[in-house]
Amino acid sequence: MFKILKQISDYAKESFQAAKYIGEGLSVTFDHMGRRPITVQYPYEKLVPSERFRGRIHYEFDKCISCEVCVRVCPINLPVVNWEFDKKSKKKKLNHYSIDFGVCIFCGNCVEYCPTNCLSMTEEYELATYDRHELNYDNVALGRLPYKVTQDPMVTPLRELGYLPKGVMDPHDLPAGTQRAGKHPEDIVEEMKSKASEEEKVN
Amino acid sequence: MNIAEGVQIVSFGILGTTMLAAALGVVLLSNIVYSAFLLGGVFVSMAGIYLLLNADFVAAAQILIYVGAINVLILFAIMLVNKQEDFSAVPKRWIRNGATAIVCFGLFALLGTMVLITPWSIAPATAVAVQDTVVEIGKHFFSDYLLPFELASVLLLMAMVGAIILARRDFIPEQLGVQQTALTLPEQPRESSAGSIASDEMPSS
Amino acid sequence: MYRIASYLHLSANMNSGIDLQGTFIESLKDLGLSPGLAKLVWMPLPMLLMLIGATVGVLVAVWLERKISAAAQQRIGPEYAGPLGVLQPVVDGIKLVFKEDIIPAKSDAWLFTLGPVLVVIPVFLSYLIVPFGQHLAITDVNVGIFLWIALSSIAPIGLLMSGYASNNKYSLLGGLRAAAQSISYEIPLALAVLAIVMMSNSLSTIDIVEQQSGYGILGWNIWRQPVGFVIFWIAALAECERLPFDLPEAEEELVAGYQTEYAGMKFALFYLGSYVNLILSALVFSVLYLGGWESPIPMDRLAGWIGVSENTPWLQVITATIGITMTLFKAYFLVFTAILLRWTVPRVRIDQLLNLGWKFLLPVSLVNLLLTAALKLTFPIAFGG
Ligand code: SF4
Ligand code: SF4
Repeated sequence: MFKILKQISDYAKESFQAAKYIGEGLSVTFDHMGRRPITVQYPYEKLVPSERFRGRIHYEFDKCISCEVCVRVCPINLPVVNWEFDKKSKKKKLNHYSIDFGVCIFCGNCVEYCPTNCLSMTEEYELATYDRHELNYDNVALGRLPYKVTQDPMVTPLRELGYLPKGVMDPHDLPAGTQRAGKHPEDIVEEMKSKASEEEKVN
Repeated sequence: MNIAEGVQIVSFGILGTTMLAAALGVVLLSNIVYSAFLLGGVFVSMAGIYLLLNADFVAAAQILIYVGAINVLILFAIMLVNKQEDFSAVPKRWIRNGATAIVCFGLFALLGTMVLITPWSIAPATAVAVQDTVVEIGKHFFSDYLLPFELASVLLLMAMVGAIILARRDFIPEQLGVQQTALTLPEQPRESSAGSIASDEMPSS
Repeated sequence: MYRIASYLHLSANMNSGIDLQGTFIESLKDLGLSPGLAKLVWMPLPMLLMLIGATVGVLVAVWLERKISAAAQQRIGPEYAGPLGVLQPVVDGIKLVFKEDIIPAKSDAWLFTLGPVLVVIPVFLSYLIVPFGQHLAITDVNVGIFLWIALSSIAPIGLLMSGYASNNKYSLLGGLRAAAQSISYEIPLALAVLAIVMMSNSLSTIDIVEQQSGYGILGWNIWRQPVGFVIFWIAALAECERLPFDLPEAEEELVAGYQTEYAGMKFALFYLGSYVNLILSALVFSVLYLGGWESPIPMDRLAGWIGVSENTPWLQVITATIGITMTLFKAYFLVFTAILLRWTVPRVRIDQLLNLGWKFLLPVSLVNLLLTAALKLTFPIAFGG
């Protein structure tokens, strides 16, 4: 008898708990309704990519020494370095270089490890094509520089939330020259330098 | 004849025709799914005729129980059992056919005599439209129709208990459950508490 | 037949309140029409009004759904079609009307066409019973709320039909799921309604609202049926196939369930039907538990305090307007909660759905019914003697 009663009371408790959790969830959803919409009217407005954005890779053919470090550090051995050994000059001669962005995961390892800094990340992210093989960029395509969002007359560049001045939530119609909140890297470097020199003086 | 009467006669004609046509379709069509859907049509037009007879509660109950529950269950059964089977010649088939014919004829005779002996003509003076049909039906259920009502409820209770026992397999002895035919799926034996009251008890609505 | 004709009254009672029908017929008679003809002209008007009203209600609900969903996900939502995108549902509808009507190969063309029709018609018919004021209902059927339950039980047949006729396994599974779901949740729904009916001693929606009137917000059934309204709302959401119970059209599992093969106008019918059903459930909820057209502060008492007679024409107009506004406001508030719920809770599995229906809602609603009966016997004043 008591067992049944206990079962019933446990069941009731569980039901109330479930109802409580649903209520909490509802309040979270309700809270989200008052928040700022993060919508960007995409083809007309674009967000300015951040400094360390890892977009399509840029490559300089002339700097490359065909060392294939990029291939070795790539998690999927993606870059194709097509070189042949030139007997006369006893050097590698680079014929072709290509990266397939349909496969690349934009991890940035190749950029990090390239000894001659001939690879770099750009801020280009619009890589839609009609055929996936078009994403296989050769050294000419890799050498093109992307168009900057801020210079495109068709596009209103918008700052991301972290780059807005203090207290501002709306990225539209910011007055020119406004700075983002917090210290800038150069300020921090400046500060550290002055501190170091002060410490030196003290010593 | 005023407009109301005209509407009444026309709707009766439409309802009667659809009902007869749908009923014939149920019996004559070879596709069983069509038959089941047409059965729904028969029930709906029957409900319409009830409505014409000022029996609104009965009409709504007819739709709720027959169309909404029974017909849907029939369709369910048809659609879940997707099994093509050719009829094999049964020996002594004529016995079955004969028995069916006798039963059908008996039913027809019964209904026919009932139609004939019922005094249909109601004096227009006494035929007052009952305003609150629900209350009237309730009164009848608990006075002169008490026995049929109680019998029907006992029948439904039996059906419900049967459905629960079928759904909770732990009540059925093991020996019965072990033997497998081609139609049953091999299943894990269930724990007694987890035996679910599946949706088999729908007719209890 | 006499009763069927009288169902089409916008006003049931001649001596009090606004009598639209009487006025309309009188003015037609003044134009020189015979009384029978005048009545014939009047008869299609409420039905037309109902159709238009239901469709406009759906447009509003679709717009709300899109805007509120957008807000809950921190988006903007429709913006370009009309101010704040209010014309977006119209645009959607026009697009669907002009789309090609595709009937899949090897499907059953007749049943395929009949399916959506069978789903939509009962839902629209159920609008007949929704009252917007004392004398502002299309009909005052005395089986009112029962008619709604009965009509909503026809829809599964249409769903099964379209699922079967589509010649697509996802459609068939969706149709079967829809039928199983609506049958299992119809019972707790009916039992929850029965508890209300027991308190108001009538199946008529108008009587149910009348029984809650007089004490403003304190008289609403939601206080007397705290368990019943939760059961009703859960079951109604399941009947409307709204999230968390949208298993019949679960995108991740069944593509779109029974709607998978539909395009153009037939799909639009399903779409319309599901939203009309949602609004209808919200309206019925507000009638059953939130006092229908009653405003939170009792209007007639207010009038009594100011010292205005109840039969003053302008007061009646104001009361009618407030009644309609209150009903719509309550209904759309419920639609809002449904949308909010949609973005809060995840979809249940089919076994969880049936468990919830048969093992939780059914016993709880039975207990609720028994409790209501007991309370009615002990406190006849508070629980409708
Ligand atoms: S690591 Fe740099 S230099 Fe070496 S092959 Fe790759 S791109 Fe060329
Ligand atoms: S970004 Fe990563 S994945 Fe892409 S090519 Fe470089 S190392 Fe490979």
